Amino acid sequence: MRASSIKSWGLAIALVAISLALSFAKPTFLTVPNLLNVMRQISINGILAVGVTYVLLTGGVDLSLGSLVALSGVVAATLAHPNQHALAVPVLVGVLTGTLCGAVNGLVVTHGKVAPFIATLGMMTVARGLALVVSGGRPVSNLGAEFTRLGGDVAGLPIPLMVLAGIALLAFVVLRNLRLGRYVYAIGGNEAAARASGIDVAAVKLFAYSACGATAGVAGVVLAARVTTGQPNAGVGYELDAIAAVVIGGTSLSGGVGGIGGTILGALLIGVINNGLDLLNVTSYYQAIVKGIIIVGAVWLDRQQNKS
Amino acid sequence: MKRTIVLLLVGVLCGCGRQEAAHSGTKPITIGVSLLNLSNEFIVMLNESMAAKAKDLGVELIVNDAQGSAERQVQQVESFIAQHVDAIILNPCDVEASSPAVDKALAAGIPLVNMNSETKAAPSAFVGSRDEEAARLALEYIAKCLNGHGNVLLMNGVMGQAAQIKREAGARAVLGKFPELKVLAEQTAEWDRAKAMSLMENWIQSHGATINAVFAQNDEMAMGALLALERAKLKDKVLVVGVDAIADALQALRDGRLDATVFQDARLQGATAVETAVKLSRQQPAEKQVYIPFRLVTKDSAKNY
Repeated sequence: MRASSIKSWGLAIALVAISLALSFAKPTFLTVPNLLNVMRQISINGILAVGVTYVLLTGGVDLSLGSLVALSGVVAATLAHPNQHALAVPVLVGVLTGTLCGAVNGLVVTHGKVAPFIATLGMMTVARGLALVVSGGRPVSNLGAEFTRLGGDVAGLPIPLMVLAGIALLAFVVLRNLRLGRYVYAIGGNEAAARASGIDVAAVKLFAYSACGATAGVAGVVLAARVTTGQPNAGVGYELDAIAAVVIGGTSLSGGVGGIGGTILGALLIGVINNGLDLLNVTSYYQAIVKGIIIVGAVWLDRQQNKS
Repeated sequence: MKRTIVLLLVGVLCGCGRQEAAHSGTKPITIGVSLLNLSNEFIVMLNESMAAKAKDLGVELIVNDAQGSAERQVQQVESFIAQHVDAIILNPCDVEASSPAVDKALAAGIPLVNMNSETKAAPSAFVGSRDEEAARLALEYIAKCLNGHGNVLLMNGVMGQAAQIKREAGARAVLGKFPELKVLAEQTAEWDRAKAMSLMENWIQSHGATINAVFAQNDEMAMGALLALERAKLKDKVLVVGVDAIADALQALRDGRLDATVFQDARLQGATAVETAVKLSRQQPAEKQVYIPFRLVTKDSAKNY
């Protein structure tokens, strides 16, 4: 396991620099309500990014995340009407839906020997279709207050942020301190060598895809609670934002290098840019351009630092 | 592999033959329908109203979903032409890119009705609503409530789409008449509730208590803005108006949370499109352009929807 968090110093510097520039341009940026705002807005992408970090570390990819968010959100919402079930039912069934789909991804990759890109691309369209079937093509609304509260705040702190913190911490500990975590790195580093040294590669990969699906399920439930509906169209393109956060954070697309700390920094960077551009009221067309340039620039800076 | 292809071909040929036999026997009218996107709630409503009307009139609909792709839409119309349908209802994906579908149908002598939005090529008939009108009604309501004075935020759909362009034009036309109604900011939230919520949260940070009204170009975004304002405890001070009158927005109106939306009559649009297509296929006279009016829905009138 190569140093994972130290790798992201350049990125942290870029993040601080951008934040400072923003706070000069717009003093409201550096206020507690706005920073909480940023944290609230990165939660969904952050949760997804933490999950997909596992898959990317094994050298795979998961394109089905956005569709899984929609499917688990819709499934949870259909069980979350007022006085229908205890809160645990929609939450658990939603998360389980994501986990099952992730496990299917894992099985298709490991036992079907289908390339992760294709396997998860298939799941992307299947899960989107299922979300439309379950919801009848319409947003599932009229959700209980108990459920929608999960998307709000408690004691001034956004619940989605606490969920992200919990999941990130768990993922960090597993990668750092458990043998399972080291296996994830070993497989991404050199799959043949990992197999030769007796690691059950298929089982570890199955775990990575299932964990990734589980985080998509969590993100789907949290998103449905936040927007108070299960939306069959939700999450289009979320997989790319999540993968972007992971790669910006220094995890290699070919696997074996990276970690959760970098992923969180990557998600923060994207969130700060989105928030800052809205605060500065940059017009939509330019937002897209500026966002792309800042992201590539920040990663460039990071990689230059690592060379020296 | 080869054998399966042959079997499939045989199956397809037999299928066609049977269909044609049935066609010449009883001559039920068949209408091909290519829809913009069946994962959009409004299009789902259009589809349901068309199916109900077709059942009433005893005509058969072949419904294809273009899933937002104009290219797929053109292919679907080509296959309708090959199936010799009696009329086509097109719910265009794009003003320009869906135009070849119209040209091809007309060249094949099949009447085509554009439903809900327009194409550059002129169809046999058009059934829909004027998007400018929806924005005009919404902004006039905002101007009335604010007595022509105040700060407005404009939340746009996907930039460059016909509905976004026309709704923005309609909004701007009203704003031009009220110089004291100022636009604080204008931004896209891509018709999406989650994006609208984040955008509104950011706007609350930068404009806070100076915001008087939000006009969102659809109800999904209006609901997102509403949720963000409610969570920031600012909803009492800000008017929120959307367009489309989706179920969730109507409920929010009845609950006294949303201020207004604009009702686009999916049922009447879908039913009129089917009626027009049937008339055209029987070579009966039909109106070339049917505009279904939008209606403003406020807290008081929401119970009627």
